[in-house]
Amino acid sequence: MHKVFAKYPSMRPWLLLLPASLWLFIFFIAPLFIVLIYSFQTRGTYGGVVWQFSIENFQRTFDPLYFNTFLRSFYIAAITTFACLLLGFPLAYYITTRPPQSRGTFVLALMIPFWTNFLIRTYAWLTLLRTNTGLINTTLISLGILKHPLPLFGNDFAIVLGLVYGWLPDMVLPVYAALDRLDNSLLEAAQDLYASGWRVFWRVIWPLSLPGVIAGSMLVFIPSLGAFVTPAILGGGKSLMIGNIISNQFLAAHDWPFGSAMSTVMMVVMLLATLIYFRSTSRKERVQA
Amino acid sequence: MSSEVVKSGVDQLQSSRRSRMALVKKRFNDLVLNFYGWGGYLFLYLPIIILVIFSFNDSRSTAQWAGFTTRWYGEMINDSQIILSLWNSLFVAIVSTILSTIIGTLAAMAMERYSFRGQLMMDAILYLPIIIPDIAMAIMLLIFFDITGIGFEPWHVNFFRISLAVPYSVIIGHVAFNISFVAIVVRARLAQMDNTLEEAASDLYANSWQTFWRVTIPMMMPGILGGALLAFTLSLDDFVITFFTSGAGFNTLPVRVFGMIKKGVTPKINAVSTLMLLFSLVLMGISLIFRKGGDDENIMDLSL
Amino acid sequence: MSEGHAVELRDVVKRFGNVSAVNHVSLQIRNGEFFSLLGPSGCGKTTSLRLIAGFEIPTSGQILISDEVQGHLPAYQRPVNTVFQNYALFPHMSVFQNIAFGLEMQKTPKSEIELRVNEVLDLVHLQGMGKRRPKQLSGGQQQRVALARALVNRPNVLLLDEPLGALDLKLRKAMQIELKALQEQVGITFIYVTHDQEEALTMSDRIAVMSQGHLLQIGNPEEIYEQPTSRFVADFIGETNFIEGTVEGQNEHVEFGIAPNSIMLATWGSDPVPAKSKVTLSIRPEKIDLYTPGKPLPRGSRKIANMPGKVVDLVYLGTDTRYVVQVPGPNKLVVRMQNATSSEHFFKVGDEVTLRWNPAHARVMKE
Repeated sequence: MHKVFAKYPSMRPWLLLLPASLWLFIFFIAPLFIVLIYSFQTRGTYGGVVWQFSIENFQRTFDPLYFNTFLRSFYIAAITTFACLLLGFPLAYYITTRPPQSRGTFVLALMIPFWTNFLIRTYAWLTLLRTNTGLINTTLISLGILKHPLPLFGNDFAIVLGLVYGWLPDMVLPVYAALDRLDNSLLEAAQDLYASGWRVFWRVIWPLSLPGVIAGSMLVFIPSLGAFVTPAILGGGKSLMIGNIISNQFLAAHDWPFGSAMSTVMMVVMLLATLIYFRSTSRKERVQA
Repeated sequence: MSSEVVKSGVDQLQSSRRSRMALVKKRFNDLVLNFYGWGGYLFLYLPIIILVIFSFNDSRSTAQWAGFTTRWYGEMINDSQIILSLWNSLFVAIVSTILSTIIGTLAAMAMERYSFRGQLMMDAILYLPIIIPDIAMAIMLLIFFDITGIGFEPWHVNFFRISLAVPYSVIIGHVAFNISFVAIVVRARLAQMDNTLEEAASDLYANSWQTFWRVTIPMMMPGILGGALLAFTLSLDDFVITFFTSGAGFNTLPVRVFGMIKKGVTPKINAVSTLMLLFSLVLMGISLIFRKGGDDENIMDLSL
Repeated sequence: MSEGHAVELRDVVKRFGNVSAVNHVSLQIRNGEFFSLLGPSGCGKTTSLRLIAGFEIPTSGQILISDEVQGHLPAYQRPVNTVFQNYALFPHMSVFQNIAFGLEMQKTPKSEIELRVNEVLDLVHLQGMGKRRPKQLSGGQQQRVALARALVNRPNVLLLDEPLGALDLKLRKAMQIELKALQEQVGITFIYVTHDQEEALTMSDRIAVMSQGHLLQIGNPEEIYEQPTSRFVADFIGETNFIEGTVEGQNEHVEFGIAPNSIMLATWGSDPVPAKSKVTLSIRPEKIDLYTPGKPLPRGSRKIANMPGKVVDLVYLGTDTRYVVQVPGPNKLVVRMQNATSSEHFFKVGDEVTLRWNPAHARVMKE
């Protein structure tokens, strides 16, 4: 094998890429195409596939029942992103105010929860938020602060909370990276030129941290849009997002073509969002973020 | 003359008051910032801490404290299903890590060390598994395994009188997404590696093969190990893809936990969760030791 | 017939895409000499070195090492070793292992490796450092390990790529002396790449000046300095004045027309320049003397080329004084005069002076 390697230097990169290309083409690209093809088929009577080209599935996605869920997912993902920004930006800023040697520790402390199992973290919120048996409600009621439990579970609030909890570090890190790179002398220059407090923030800090903010937003929005576990566990079976509906088609409704179609639509939306991101930022900004 | 003295005195008073106010304002700002900072960290850690605490709860509730006990851990250890799923998780993780590390490292070398036509396309293909949402990849594989007849039932292999169930469908899926992650980590390492070292080796009479094994691989090691660790962690933690590519009755730990949650919430789940948390911490600790021992890299790399 | 050169380049060209990094370079390097490739960034000196080392293959032309054509061979098959600019020490190996690496690759027996590594550690004054790791060493020490690692293989030729660039000034000066002494002691041919002309002049037996891929001039330091053949070399090495003019007379000397009348300014040996052609002269500042106009010349003075001028600037430099003198035409000439007799300036700004030099010291430049 390495005779070939030595003899044909121009082939070398392709030889190195062979295993990866094979694996990904067979087990990733091909499935992707199959899903695409399935999107245009329809469900057979007993759950199989009718091999006949049709755009029925795509039309169905615009059915209010499903389309609303798409919109809802978008809405939830957007709120999650916004919440992450609101919570995450000050947190990132906080880390930059720590002494330089300890900043690494603070970042590490941020990452530790992130490295634990997502399912477990979502489960943790389940035990906290449940209406009658969740920690928050039982504690507040037993302390006499509340008479009736708060509706913290099985709704959009719970899902957003779970998503924010899961993806917050993904927002903090890029923002922190951008803020960290901020040259202190810029702030001093602004103050030297009579800007103070909020002014300095809006006119200097915010614009310069924007690449980090945008990168962080992408890193939160996209996974939130495709969320499955969080709404499955915290949605209480009621509030569903696209991910859940898609999975339903495969587990319960046995309408694989329809599930494929919705999955295709979801991926296209995400692709567009990613493309917009790539177009709107320069490569340099992205690498930095 | 005296009015000047008075004026300067008043000025001094005013300026000192202003500076005191500024000090108060600064202290207030600092307080708010600290509050926010610690609040943020509390938000991140509290749910996990509560989870761990209630794994020792002496009742079936996960919300009302009834005393300390370790019986849930006992139940967990005696639950053969849980032990089996733990074993499955480890098996899948180890196999998929080995495969994806080798494949991903080779791919990283190709992408980072050479320039060739089609590189951009390959780059995109390598990034796709990272961008694509779990559920989309999961159903993709589900359909694929179904339509090609590859199937989901684990192969039964006899390995020195031990009968192993090899869940190839799950492993295939794990390798599929892990290749990309390994490639990214190794590429980052390659990018900051000193190229001249390989020239130096060649200058000192090492041929390509010797250079590769004696210089290139050792230099890449931190990246390779980092990638392997990442792949291992992602594989252990994976739920969605595993869920959809498992055969009937095959569980990894996260899949098992999901099933338990659907059946009913008890502190036993907390116990299993605590176990998984501990495992994650150990893995993190190992990766940290590597970084301290090796070159001092940016703590940002931990984000991967 | 073989002339026994250590390294020879025959019409070597190296192209990267459309750019010729090395453009038809031919040179011969003798055994045992300290040979420098000198020039600014991008002149092709490093590429030339890499061609000799084997990290690049020439686009055309031949490279001979010890009189054998080796230009097509990879680095690990050539009997040369390189000291890299950034040292390129293997961080995952100890100093001993680093130095032993080349010997290991050549399948030298363990006992001999031990012997030779220790021998070379002594040579570079790093005895006892064998167990350390590169990152525990200072820059100067790392540099010596890199040197040792190359020398232990007893190569025919040692290639050095700006090895002193990362050291501070004092250390660099000390290392220059050490390197030169080492080369004389070991007797190996050293090919040294640098952009620092002072360094090249200090250490080299011969220097090759390069610019933009071309070889401009080869010679020993004195030749390069005193007899530059091109404008670039005259300008790059040391400081010089350029005077442009037209050839007026023949008779072994150039008479220059610099308005309003022509003055004899230079002589040349065997290369006459046709009359009426435009040439550029190069004359070094220390070759020009300033005189008070009207005062008689010292006896036996050969400084007969002369020109009137006015001092417009001067800088006292301790050992000498550097004057800037305005002469007829747009020129300002730089003149250096030693403060040999007293520490007082001979001239002040605004003084009228006569500039005089020996015409033999003014070189005609070929462009």
